[in-house]
Amino acid sequence: MSLFERTFDICAGLDFPSVHEWKQAHPDSKVIAYFPVYAPVELIHAAGMLPVGLSGAGDRLDIQHADARFGSFICSIVKTTLEMGLTGHLEPFDGFLFSTICDSARNLCFVMKRNFPAMYVDFLHLPHNPSSPAAAEFLMEEYRRVLGELERLGNCKVSDDALRRAIRLYNRSRTLIRELYELRRQNPEKLPTSELYQFVRLGNFLTVEEHIAQLEQGLEQFRSASSRRRDSIRIVVEGSFCEQPPLALIRLIEEAGCYVVDDDFVIGQSWFDSDIPTDGDPLLALATSYLDRSVYSSVRHDFRKPRWDGLVEKVRRTKADAVLFLIAKFCEPAYFDYVPYKQELERAGVPHLQLEFEEKSFTFDRLRTEVETFVESLVFD
Amino acid sequence: MTEKKEYRGSIHQQQKDLMLAWYEQLDHAADSGDPPTVCMMISGNCVELLEGFGAVPIYPEVNALQLAIRHQSLDPILAAEELGYAADNCAYVKADIGCILKGIAPTGGKLPTPTLILCNFVGCNTYLKWFEHLAKLQRSPLYVIDVPFMRADQPSRADVEYVVKQLQETVKKLEEITGRRFDHDRFRQAVECSARSEELWSQIKHLARRTPSPFDAYFDAITLMGPLYVYRAKPEGVEFFEAALAELQAKSDTGHGVYEKENFRVVIEGPPPYPYFRTFRDMFAKWQACAVASTYSTVGGLWEFGFRHDPDKLFESVAMHMIAQNVTNRNFLQRYEQIRRYVEDWNADGIIIHFVKSCRLFSAGQGDMRDYFTKQLGVPTLYIESDLEDPRYFAEAQTRNRIDAFFESLEHARATASARA
Amino acid sequence: MRIAAGVDVGSTQTKAVIMADNGDVKILARALVDTGANVQRAAERAFDACCQQAGLHSVEVGFVVGTGYGRYKIAFGNTQMTEITCHAKGASFLCPGTRTVIDMGGQDSKAISVGAHGEVLDFVMNDKCAAGTGRFLANSAEVMGISLDEVGPLSLQAQHPVKMATVCTVFVESDILSYLAQGKSGEDILGGVHIAIAKRTLSLARRLNIEPEITMTGGVARNIGMVHALEQVLGRKMLVSPDAQFIGAAGAALFALEKMDQSFESSIWRGDHAISGGH
Repeated sequence: MSLFERTFDICAGLDFPSVHEWKQAHPDSKVIAYFPVYAPVELIHAAGMLPVGLSGAGDRLDIQHADARFGSFICSIVKTTLEMGLTGHLEPFDGFLFSTICDSARNLCFVMKRNFPAMYVDFLHLPHNPSSPAAAEFLMEEYRRVLGELERLGNCKVSDDALRRAIRLYNRSRTLIRELYELRRQNPEKLPTSELYQFVRLGNFLTVEEHIAQLEQGLEQFRSASSRRRDSIRIVVEGSFCEQPPLALIRLIEEAGCYVVDDDFVIGQSWFDSDIPTDGDPLLALATSYLDRSVYSSVRHDFRKPRWDGLVEKVRRTKADAVLFLIAKFCEPAYFDYVPYKQELERAGVPHLQLEFEEKSFTFDRLRTEVETFVESLVFD
Repeated sequence: MTEKKEYRGSIHQQQKDLMLAWYEQLDHAADSGDPPTVCMMISGNCVELLEGFGAVPIYPEVNALQLAIRHQSLDPILAAEELGYAADNCAYVKADIGCILKGIAPTGGKLPTPTLILCNFVGCNTYLKWFEHLAKLQRSPLYVIDVPFMRADQPSRADVEYVVKQLQETVKKLEEITGRRFDHDRFRQAVECSARSEELWSQIKHLARRTPSPFDAYFDAITLMGPLYVYRAKPEGVEFFEAALAELQAKSDTGHGVYEKENFRVVIEGPPPYPYFRTFRDMFAKWQACAVASTYSTVGGLWEFGFRHDPDKLFESVAMHMIAQNVTNRNFLQRYEQIRRYVEDWNADGIIIHFVKSCRLFSAGQGDMRDYFTKQLGVPTLYIESDLEDPRYFAEAQTRNRIDAFFESLEHARATASARA
Repeated sequence: MRIAAGVDVGSTQTKAVIMADNGDVKILARALVDTGANVQRAAERAFDACCQQAGLHSVEVGFVVGTGYGRYKIAFGNTQMTEITCHAKGASFLCPGTRTVIDMGGQDSKAISVGAHGEVLDFVMNDKCAAGTGRFLANSAEVMGISLDEVGPLSLQAQHPVKMATVCTVFVESDILSYLAQGKSGEDILGGVHIAIAKRTLSLARRLNIEPEITMTGGVARNIGMVHALEQVLGRKMLVSPDAQFIGAAGAALFALEKMDQSFESSIWRGDHAISGGH
């Protein structure tokens, strides 16, 4: 394991050393966890707090208590998140922010509320009717509400300038991520996805300032990398927006002969397709950007422009050969979207494969066989 | 000892007739395009708005459950799965999409292509995707009314305003599409009818507080609640609920319950296994266990705790119902509260939690609900599992076993308590 | 002396127990047969074998309670009770002080919260999948080409039990084969399997208040590897009766004694003599 990989491994573990370090350096401040996909981290940052994206416990915890509360047919991330709480692993966090991701995650929010009454647990209602002129006003009010809670929790007042500063910082990290993704699109041999993934996901644990530094370093490192181009197929990975696949699975996909030219892993980190304006009212800027600058995702609904058109466009733009639907077991939103996605891909003549994964897996033989077979079917046409 | 009595008064037939008449209207609209039809979700529906256009609602959920009750849900589900829907997708959606793919309707008539697909998004994320898929499949225009979730005890001013504005946008949209002007007077009359229907339904629900209850507040309530979302805003609906209340009141006044002797009173949480409705009911009838309250019967609105539509606050009260007075847009802890109130005020012996594979809104976290009731409140609670629509997910022997064991233990506890007394 | 019987028709095995009460309640005999396809016949065979063992004619048995999945098929039964209720009763009798029962049977597993008089306070069941049941272990044994009896003892010899991500019986086969291909030892694999099952079973049990004494019942209780794994994960010892498989039938027999006509007396006092002459 390289030093970087070790860093990632530690950050993604259950001890949260980076969080503890930050708390020691900021003893009067709070740490707010959020259940990914998207969270308005700028609000948390502007309140002088540390936002941490928690994607469950991955393969690091046995579910011993949480499945008494959540039965079968529920995705693992919901259960491991609760398990973390029930086994004391959420102790470093002062708050937990949920949003309109899916029905299971929403119920989880309120189960957490009941079981951890000392924690600030909140549910953000993100709009699903961006066509309405009233949506921006509503979302602004919702952000104002959450900001008020953070101010209460942290005993502070958040200024517009602090918000603008936060926006500027996160604009920068998102820009860097966009550049990394662009680099990978152009020269996938320079930037293995398993590595890019770690760089992006680190943003869930580090401060945005530290993340920017890591991203800038990474960009330089990868730009100057030299690697031989393999005869791999170019694929878009779709469906891994919430529960994350094991790193071993991402490596396996690449080893099996794929270059991932776009994906929705940790999509919360690169949620906007362009910078959020830093002039004018910052809450209005955040709200209107959510409505008009968000990338398409299974957790967001905008009937002005269907997500399936977004997927086909993405395939064309990235010159991908195929789409790999990498769906967490029992992920309802992904299963639903799969149908129109599949229909449109078939209309556009784009090959695709659907695979199911669980964050907690130790053997991957079946998946390896499926990916290899798929690659073979495309290469030996 | 086993009794299979269920309520079959005249209102049972009246309810059937009303629902058939509604399907006939839809069949007629399929041929003639008149009246305009609007697809909606049952929970948090704004059927009063439709009255302002003389439009008729289409409820895909009702299509799905009608198919299941008639044992016709498997074929459409399979058709949907062939299209790519997963085993773990909500079977309501699959059955509905499947029946559109196959061009069938549960009553044998035709279903019209909706004039507007109006997704009243009240908590259930599946609703959003279901309606997106319908719009794509049927090529009808789609509008989403984004209803803020009950993340606090009460909706905020901003929540209500947001919904009111979207309701007004819906009115404009319908005017554009139908070419009809919104009839504000008819809207007001509709809201008045709703308020009246709701009052009557609430009184019916409260009759179940009596011992014995004159009807089963799960099985009978589910059978009788159709008119609540199709006809609540119409005079026919008011008439129906007046008749229902009178009949059940009369029955109750003579001291008659559902069974010869009401042995157990339970609160039931979760949708029923529609493909096995009868069988499931018999498992409780065996023990003369009567449901005195249920959460599923409040998807069409929560009327027993006092909320009514208000003709003096037309759009606002419609918005309030959509936000706060239906079971799907209320948060999980509010459902615990709702059940607790039922157990206490309706005097129940225990709770039955029916986990359904299809519906994560209802089912995700019911283990925690059980934990709350058994460990924190000490209320006997049974947890059983199946599905609401897919006939493949019902294990009859296992389910019966659990229900028997539960009532055996309640009986035992009762016997021990009285032996000690 | 009053004599009654309990017959427990399970998915894989059918058990019968005859109990006598002459002021002191005790088990006279027990019998076990494979259930097979004909549930009714299995119940009859088990009961007959039990009577024979007790040296009794069936007519001597004053009351029969049937339990288990096949309980409604017992033609000669006087009444039926669920095996949950019977397990609680039986465990309380055979292992005094029982407050929690963990039952791992042929096709389902359950946990029961038991009161001071053997009454069921609460219960949870896993009856829709094979995880934590005899079937799961039988499948694992088959995949590894060893007999079911060896599975438990071998698991106790694990040095580095492997990590099993799933206890789904369909997928665990390919996981086992994967590990075998990686060169892991049979002991380590079985150790991992047992621990995974134990964790899964206890996860189910935690939906109740687990209180000592914790008694393990059902066919899987004969698997010392499973008992050990459960005790490891629980962090305390459990009670396991040598009659672990018969607890359901014993509970049923106890209910039979309670429910039978209080005036019924067997006219022949049975010790270990065989009946001479019929009735």
